[in-house]
Amino acid sequence: MRNLWLLLQRNAFTLAFIALMAVSVSVLLRNNGAARSSWFQKTGAVSSMVDGQRHEWSNYLHLSEQNVQLAAENAALRSQLLSMSMAGTWREDTLRGWSVRSGMLIKGPDGKPHTLSLATPGRSEGITTGMGVLAGGAAFGTVEDVGEGHSQILTLLHSGTAWSCRIGRGGPVASLGWDGREINVLQLNDVPRHVQAKAGDSVFTSGYDLRFPPNVLLGTVIDSDRTPGADFMQVTVASAVDFNATQHLEFIVHRADSERVVLAQPDQQP
Amino acid sequence: MTVLRMLLMVMLQAFILRDVTPLGQWTRPEWALWALLLVPPQASPFLKLLSGFAMGVALDVALGTYGQHMVAGTALGGALPALHRLFSPREGYEITDRPTLHDMGSSWLIGFTLSAAILYHLVLMVVSNWYWHLLPSAILPSLTSAAFTTMCCVVLHMMIYSPDRRNPTH
Repeated sequence: MRNLWLLLQRNAFTLAFIALMAVSVSVLLRNNGAARSSWFQKTGAVSSMVDGQRHEWSNYLHLSEQNVQLAAENAALRSQLLSMSMAGTWREDTLRGWSVRSGMLIKGPDGKPHTLSLATPGRSEGITTGMGVLAGGAAFGTVEDVGEGHSQILTLLHSGTAWSCRIGRGGPVASLGWDGREINVLQLNDVPRHVQAKAGDSVFTSGYDLRFPPNVLLGTVIDSDRTPGADFMQVTVASAVDFNATQHLEFIVHRADSERVVLAQPDQQP
Repeated sequence: MTVLRMLLMVMLQAFILRDVTPLGQWTRPEWALWALLLVPPQASPFLKLLSGFAMGVALDVALGTYGQHMVAGTALGGALPALHRLFSPREGYEITDRPTLHDMGSSWLIGFTLSAAILYHLVLMVVSNWYWHLLPSAILPSLTSAAFTTMCCVVLHMMIYSPDRRNPTH
């Protein structure tokens, strides 16, 4: 400590000069547009390189978790495949025609009610607006906007949207939204009062919003709130996706999407 | 006294002498440098550094060029101790020596002022043009402006610190 103090004392003038120069340069950069843009052009490349490197390290550190998740998913798929083979009824579903393209999440939800997320790829790899996005096989969001190499994702954690879904595979359709309070906890509104919703029940997409195929997992029921006298109840749902840890995405592509969209539009009255 | 002198020169430069540029960009003097260069060589390096910084702040506020004169003033303030060492007489500065025409002589004054002015104008040129491709065309006007600033400073010295005024009996 004493040596450090002596070192500082010995170089006090240089340190004072550096400090005053830093203040001056920061004032200059804050107030001079040309200087600012030139500075950020130079430092932008460096910061993006650092960010990229940090992202790589972060991915590397999460590899073990991803591996566990992939192994579990693989096991589930394999068991499903085996049971289908044994039944002898499995065929590729060419009529429904869904396929999946992989992507990476660059900027995830930050817990604010209206934040959009950012992912790769974009238009250059066939991503278009309105596609559904999965994470680990569960619904994550939908493509809101696309750039050449990136796409903007409207996730389930956006308080301005509602997602068509049902409790269980055969329950009535209800709308799932987020109240903007707690990450990974969603609210299922307009659920008829007579519906049985128990903690642990799965919530699936209905497929009616054309963004996801039906029966994609959205989450599981935490509890339900039946207000006396009301026709509908509110159900709290834990999302199947962990929005704080998601990295890998899957974009759902429908092979006959344009036809589907045109036919789904309301009739134009003459 | 140094502070008052500096404030006066900043005000003069900002409000009266701002447009006194006989040949446009080729002769753009920095009058406030005269006040900064009057900081005695025996003064503490910190005082010189702070004086340069303060002059830059005052000029930026008065001229509306936020940051440019601060950077140039800080650079010159930081370099002043080295410049004083570089131009010191063989036997060093006397305790009573002031950086004036009378005490230090014309060759010292011109050499010292020109070096300081060149440094100040070159830094000012870099921060006001900023882009590399604009710098080559700005170097020559900066050097001529530095020479003009030196001339203005020497004239001020002759007007204010002339030997006749200091020693009227001689």
